Amino acid sequence: MNNDLKLITERLDAGFKRLPQTRYQVQITDDPYDKTYNFFLNYQHRGRRLKSQPLHAVSQYQLTYLEQLIKGLREHTQLSFEFVGFTGQRWPSNQRLIQGRRYKDE
Amino acid sequence: MNYQNEPHGVFFLIDNKSFYASVEAVARGWNPLKVSLVVMSEADNTNGGLVLATSPEAKKQYHLQANVSRAREVPQDPQLVVVPPRMNLYIKRNLQINDIFRRFVANEDLLPYSIDESILDLTHSWRLFGQTPREVAVRIQKTVRRELGLYTTVGIGDNPLQAKLALDLYAKHDADLIGEIHYETVPQKIWTVDKLTAIWGIADRTAAHLNRLGIHNMYELAHVDPYQLNGEMGLIGQQLFAMAWGIDRAQLNQRRGPKHASLGNSQVLPRDYVQQKEIETVIKEVGEQVASRLRHHHQQAACVSLGIGFSYAASAEDGRGGFHQEMRIAPTDQNAEIVAAIIQLFRRNWQGQTVRNIAVYTSRLCAATGLQLNFFEPAKTQLKRVKADHVVDAIRDRFGFTRLVYASSLQRGGTAINRASLVGGHNGGNAYE
Repeated sequence: MNNDLKLITERLDAGFKRLPQTRYQVQITDDPYDKTYNFFLNYQHRGRRLKSQPLHAVSQYQLTYLEQLIKGLREHTQLSFEFVGFTGQRWPSNQRLIQGRRYKDE
Repeated sequence: MNYQNEPHGVFFLIDNKSFYASVEAVARGWNPLKVSLVVMSEADNTNGGLVLATSPEAKKQYHLQANVSRAREVPQDPQLVVVPPRMNLYIKRNLQINDIFRRFVANEDLLPYSIDESILDLTHSWRLFGQTPREVAVRIQKTVRRELGLYTTVGIGDNPLQAKLALDLYAKHDADLIGEIHYETVPQKIWTVDKLTAIWGIADRTAAHLNRLGIHNMYELAHVDPYQLNGEMGLIGQQLFAMAWGIDRAQLNQRRGPKHASLGNSQVLPRDYVQQKEIETVIKEVGEQVASRLRHHHQQAACVSLGIGFSYAASAEDGRGGFHQEMRIAPTDQNAEIVAAIIQLFRRNWQGQTVRNIAVYTSRLCAATGLQLNFFEPAKTQLKRVKADHVVDAIRDRFGFTRLVYASSLQRGGTAINRASLVGGHNGGNAYE
């Protein structure tokens, strides 16, 4: 856990350059094929192409673990998170939906 | 044409739809066919960025070429996603896909053709998986999609050539992503092709040569006098003629290795190199890399070659794009000897031109069964030198290349450290995943 969190935060800090007029977002994908949770740093300057930098793939494929990891990450960063591929799944602790609606290109 | 004596089998050529782009899309939870995505390598020698793969949607929307477009040709559209390559991940996926194929064919009937293409000989096994070859193809496609999320295109033919042509000409544009060519359908499917360069194995030069002979499409190629074609183009002429008739006598399970193996590396430099010392630093690094690969393969080389490509300006001035020289040496796998030989080649041929491209190749390989001692040095010194190379290799294998580098790589111009994590010249991906 700590190692996963450490790798993600390190790479996040390296990629989060606080460029002006740029939106930064952390994307978290449920990858059912590899049975991993994939983390990406997405950033986009206004009107430009979206860039998506891979941060890490977490191989411990359990929502309880992911929830802990996200909690740790929230303490580290204020960036907004975008969840992809989690439709229908709920957080184990409070039974809230992880991802509201399916994206159109999922 | 009597096809009776030609080999009849069931061959599939399966390739992945926009392989790198699809793998990246799936990793992000997106559908590979719906998202607009390009994989762009931004290594420091790519001059701003090189597009390695484009998703089908991006090809459609922005009319991008399949690969090696430049970054400046890619529009700044907010709908478009740009991702860096992860070569190690693609290699892993390729192995997974071939593992799936091995459930449908025996290992000797499977030939991985490139990172995203494989040839399958289903002659003996297709009946186990469906009523028709097409049904089996759909089944393979569904298996790959279900287990890896990737879309595959399948070319079906009675021999590998027909499968390849079916894939290139028809499967990629078919709604089911399947194309078929059989001996009976050669006239409809192959002769109707008007553009020679659309055919596998015919590029601009061959097409121009054929045009000079009055051949402008596949129908004309199939109806030319084969003896005349052979007289003009030699063996390749025969091959082209056979291709126009959909004939291929290759047997997949009788593999033919290369007659003469060679081993080498090349790189494009991130900027123009002018100073002799800088150029020699890189030549030395590449030479050491090649020597290290020889040792890993337990081979020794008896011939080294050096290829130097000039920068655009220098080649316009010089009249040639660069030079390529080779030299015989006593069989060796040692850094010092290989580097000495290529540096000598460089100094003999280089006349101050700016350099942009460096290639070092070794050939005439033989098994490294022992060390040829010479009379002029004590045997101990010679043995020690050999051991030093092997120890450096062992340390790098265990801890990584950058843990132990020669001081010359730290000098201005050295590229080895920056390139250490690249796979096939592109970003390999994050470590620890």
